[in-house]
Amino acid sequence: IPPSKIKDPPGESCCYEPVHIRVTGLPPFQVVTLKASLKDDKGDLFQSKAFYRANEAGEVDLEQAPALGGDYVGVHPMGLFWSLKPEKAFWRLLKHDVLNTPFWVTLDVYDSICSQYSAIIQPSASQVVQRWFSGPGVQRKQIREGRVRGALFLPPGEGPFLGVIDLFGAIGGLVEFRASLLAARGFAVLALAYFDYEDLPEELLEVDLEYFEEAANLLLAHPKIQRPGIGVISMCKGAEIALAMACYLKQAVAIVCINGFTAVMGVPLRYKDLVVTPIRPEMERVQVHASGALSYCHCYGDPRDKLNGQSVLPVEKAQSRLLFIVGEDDEFIRSKLYAEQAMDRLRSHGRSHGRVLVYPSAGHLIDPPYAPLCFASRVRGLPRPFLWGGDPAAHAAAQEHAWGEIQKFFRQHLIQNRSKFFCKL
Amino acid sequence: MVQLTATPVIALVDEPVHIRATGLTPFQIVTLHASLKDEKGNMFYSRAYYRANEVGEVDLERDSSLGGDYTGVHPMGLIWSLKPEKLLTRLLKTDVMNSPFQVQVKLHELDFLLNNKPISAPKASLTLERWYVAPGVTRIRVREGRLRGALFLPPGEGRFPGVIDLFGGIGGLLEFRAGLLASRGFVSLALAYCDYDDLPPQPEITDLEYFEEAANFLLRHPKVHGPGIGVVSTCKGAEIGLSMGIHLKQITATVLINGTPFVFEVPQVYRGQIYPPVPPSIQLVAINTLGLTEFYRMFEETQIIASQSFLPIEKAHGHFLFIVGEADKNVNSKRHAELATDRLRRNGKSNWTLLSYPGAGHLIEPPYSPLCPASGLRALSSSVHWGGEVIPHAAAQEHSWKEIQKFLRKHLISTVTSQL
Repeated sequence: IPPSKIKDPPGESCCYEPVHIRVTGLPPFQVVTLKASLKDDKGDLFQSKAFYRANEAGEVDLEQAPALGGDYVGVHPMGLFWSLKPEKAFWRLLKHDVLNTPFWVTLDVYDSICSQYSAIIQPSASQVVQRWFSGPGVQRKQIREGRVRGALFLPPGEGPFLGVIDLFGAIGGLVEFRASLLAARGFAVLALAYFDYEDLPEELLEVDLEYFEEAANLLLAHPKIQRPGIGVISMCKGAEIALAMACYLKQAVAIVCINGFTAVMGVPLRYKDLVVTPIRPEMERVQVHASGALSYCHCYGDPRDKLNGQSVLPVEKAQSRLLFIVGEDDEFIRSKLYAEQAMDRLRSHGRSHGRVLVYPSAGHLIDPPYAPLCFASRVRGLPRPFLWGGDPAAHAAAQEHAWGEIQKFFRQHLIQNRSKFFCKL
Repeated sequence: MVQLTATPVIALVDEPVHIRATGLTPFQIVTLHASLKDEKGNMFYSRAYYRANEVGEVDLERDSSLGGDYTGVHPMGLIWSLKPEKLLTRLLKTDVMNSPFQVQVKLHELDFLLNNKPISAPKASLTLERWYVAPGVTRIRVREGRLRGALFLPPGEGRFPGVIDLFGGIGGLLEFRAGLLASRGFVSLALAYCDYDDLPPQPEITDLEYFEEAANFLLRHPKVHGPGIGVVSTCKGAEIGLSMGIHLKQITATVLINGTPFVFEVPQVYRGQIYPPVPPSIQLVAINTLGLTEFYRMFEETQIIASQSFLPIEKAHGHFLFIVGEADKNVNSKRHAELATDRLRRNGKSNWTLLSYPGAGHLIEPPYSPLCPASGLRALSSSVHWGGEVIPHAAAQEHSWKEIQKFLRKHLISTVTSQL
């Protein structure tokens, strides 16, 4: 019997690229098990598996064959990747070293049904695939200029490149994986920290918009960055900050807000003399999920409530283009509610520079394509995990679609901006 | 002065408690926090946030929880929403006779409890005792012939209807439901059938004669009033209970909770008649978003209706009560009950009642038992998802427990009076 083989192109790929997995040399019509596993930067194990039936030629082609059971069901060529689950409960898959090492994903085929209740057998075929968080020639530069703290990712070449600031949420610290991936797609990206990193304050007690203005000016001053405007990609609390940048600053001309607030939340926003009072979160409205994870989405108030009027961001003042990306099953923020409120406000002021993409059954953590759905995880060492929500297959589809839309949006509106600028001369 | 009261402080686990707080500031938001330590030292916690009314009172029978482990008006919410500190731990009482579960209820200022321990000291507190047996219930260890288990007798003179209590493939001996049934006036035999005492850890067959021996043992007991006895059974126990109802004339009332009308895992044997198990389709086992294993699709593709594994339920003379958790992720309880009731209908039988509960999971237990969504050994990857949503599951437990007792009394006691 010829040994079964896993065929897929490049052993190395960028993790936003799909992988075509095909297995050959199996007994015809045999039900087999495909498994994927990886260890993260800290050595924690993530695994997934699915059961497939080989066809009459003894092949399983993941682009055509439906999974019968396991971590997902149906035809999902990248299912083994986005359904990876941690061995340690409530652990999120995050790459910290984004340039120097990939994730090594081991793909195993077992030519029978392999569950945790069956005897341990050896796989009949195995292959390791490298999934990189960056591309050839991308460079990383640690940024410590003025107050600005973060990391700048530059694509290879002379440029000029479209500049983007990348803001994550209340997780704090510096999250780099999205910035490095966008750099592999040709953008110059500043992953910007704003608290709990280096000499930045440990807790976020207020949002000082001048810090973000300094970061935007720093990016624009770089010789390889396209002027006069930059983009911002942002998530959660970062999206509230990005929207404030759109309303009060002029450097950011294309803003992507993923599952964020459209009002000042929790801590005040300051820009020079302006102080915007925040909505006070009602922590008594937290809801505990059956798993013990905490759903906060009812704690953050309603932006349409007149009592919150002074905190809602004046999006009609923004000169930039806005793209709201919403996971409808977001358990952390009622993102749809906030995005719709902002869109209504734009419309009522006769502004049409906003757009919203709503993804049914997608959760809070809309990451680049094929990132495993993290349904709940611990944040900043707090003992009770936060519930993020999402249905795995729908969330995966949302990530794939959103990634394309985000790049199109930046290319369309940052380049247009440049041509607008030239036209004015 | 802030006061916290509960009525009654000492009660059976299936009795509700009325919790109230007085002496608060009007409209103040407070935290009610409950904690319990099980016999192994595992901690369970719950909390809810309430707003006091204009006279500074909170009444759990009237007021709505704003958030926490439950929202809405749920007088017993603090108890049934208790959650383990250690993931996947199930709340189970092993010694039901000698000690209750003690539930500490504490009232705090609005305290955002990020972890389980409050930041400030409580303003008031009390301890509830939750017992699985009423005063006067006696327990007798059973080691007769092959039989292994525990017999619970209600207090008082006279005779009572008898019930055999069967749990599922968990094995061992679970006594808590039998203790409660005895407290409610039934002579209850908690019967072990695997992995207990000198019983085999994993029997290769289910020998129905063992259960016949148990039925006869119960009927012989001087405190049991025949001629019929009942069975309360869950999961694998319900497959056995169904068979008892079919083959043993003594069984006149059978409660089947989230079971199967067909034989699975190992064959069932009764006096030479063999029912083979339905082969499982392991490739249909699913892993959910949290990494828990769900078995409920395992028999989805199997042709059950025509198979020899499908138990001939129409041959039973007694009555059946099917209890279905529609959100059961361990067995496809709804489909299984439909298979059984369809077969009964096709044979012109109407000796059954079906109670189907949306949002209820596999482990439908007596009222106020906290929902255990999954249990397992060390790793998530080897744990089993039972299913169920906290609030509807609690409602299902409350409702079904009353219905189970009504059903047993109707079909066991009426046969008694008809003898007079």
